Amino acid sequence: MTITGGDVHALLLGLANTLVLLGAAGVGALIFGSLATVARLSPIPLLRGAGFVYVQFFINVPLLVLLVLAVFALPETGLLMPLTPTVMLVLAMYQSAYVSESLRSGVNSVPNGQVEAARALGFSFTQMLRHVVLPQAARSVVQPLGNQLIALTMNTSLAAVVGIVELTARINQADQVHGQPLAYYTLGGLIYLAISLALGLTTGVIERKVAIKR
Amino acid sequence: MSSMTRKTKRSAALAAAVALTATLGLTACGSSDSKAGSDDALLAQAPVADASAIPAGSTMAKIKAKGQLFVATALDAPLISQQSIDDPTKVSGFDAELAKMLAKYIIGSAKVKWTPSASETREALLGNGTVDTVFSTYTITTDRAKVVDFAGPYFMSGLAVAVKADNNSIHSVSDLAGKKVIVQTGTPSTVEVPKRAQGASLIPFATTPEGVKALEQGRGDAYIQDVDLLASMSSVDHNFKVVGAPFTQEPYGIGLKHGDDAMKKFVNDWLTQIYKSGLWAKVYKSTIGSVGETPVPPTPVIGSVPGS
Repeated sequence: MTITGGDVHALLLGLANTLVLLGAAGVGALIFGSLATVARLSPIPLLRGAGFVYVQFFINVPLLVLLVLAVFALPETGLLMPLTPTVMLVLAMYQSAYVSESLRSGVNSVPNGQVEAARALGFSFTQMLRHVVLPQAARSVVQPLGNQLIALTMNTSLAAVVGIVELTARINQADQVHGQPLAYYTLGGLIYLAISLALGLTTGVIERKVAIKR
Repeated sequence: MSSMTRKTKRSAALAAAVALTATLGLTACGSSDSKAGSDDALLAQAPVADASAIPAGSTMAKIKAKGQLFVATALDAPLISQQSIDDPTKVSGFDAELAKMLAKYIIGSAKVKWTPSASETREALLGNGTVDTVFSTYTITTDRAKVVDFAGPYFMSGLAVAVKADNNSIHSVSDLAGKKVIVQTGTPSTVEVPKRAQGASLIPFATTPEGVKALEQGRGDAYIQDVDLLASMSSVDHNFKVVGAPFTQEPYGIGLKHGDDAMKKFVNDWLTQIYKSGLWAKVYKSTIGSVGETPVPPTPVIGSVPGS
């Protein structure tokens, strides 16, 4: 396998772009996902319904379809955003649906008695979520959330299809030049593997630190 | 030196629709035969090899014995190799018709088993014997010639620049320095543009219709694609235009298993025959040449490019 200095530079640029996508979409997914979870748990039926529809929509429409929709179809309605923010937003919203489901399963792991106790003590809905439910829910979903970030890492590669030059696109280009698909796609796979392993190990450490001993 | 690039043409349903519209338009303009009919007529004129050209034990004899030519091609390139939406066993276009004719030359009837190929998989498909030949806008390069054999070239193509119809500032690839340039994933454009336009930033899209759409939405200043595909798209879509002449030479070859000299000579003999009889020009006219005003190009000279 031939790797020139130019290739290394190009792949590093691609990796940087992948990490930027991952970072922005990851933070976005955690924020949107938390909001969707709160909406789904709220006492207001309309909000609960909206949360449900949001999560179901993004879980049941393939990411590639969403990306093509946002990049090629939305501009027809007059909404033309630059490529990178569009893709970040789509990735964040897509993954947030799964984040929300993970969070909700965490919330469901908090015994009902605790919610009743919080109410009995006069906590408002917000106070109850903030001081009783979410801290415990979050601890139990560290690893599932880590898995969502790993899934998001893989999903960033779809950005290559809609004009973003991230790691996968750079690997494609390097293969174009050298004609060694086996070597270059294996290298690409190993880089994604390294990112995922780093995420998985980090969340593993965090999980052990914050684990609730019940 | 010759470009070390791989070539593929991928197009989605939109392109299929475009090709269909083009075909319908032509039919309406007074062409008496339906497209499929004229292709079948061409196939009827295609030659069959003498028995003496197929010695026992040769690759050709094995293909004849199994009664089918195994061909790898892109199945989504309008006018080149497009799978029919109604009937998946029907594939039409320039590459596809030639593949059928080669099948007839060997077997006596145009029996082809199609295998979809991506630009990344063609060498592997030939190497492990999944297919006998690759007809897939396969650019002959010296790098590829180390792992596969090329008969031909059977067509000379090249990359060209497309811009929005109202753009009057870009006239050639050299005007693209520092500009945003839309290219197609998995095609030579991703390699050739950086070489010829300093500081151009690339925006890769997967299919030709997407590239054209992105150009029309103003996501880039120009779109670089194979001149024949651009010509066929621009004949029905007047929102963009092709400027300047093609700036690369992409000689297409027929991919064969590496080291099988008898098969390579056999296929080259067949190409020579259909070049001489004018059948090649007729196939061109009924496919790539069926849109736009392009005259039939001269037949390429077999073995004329490095790697062939």
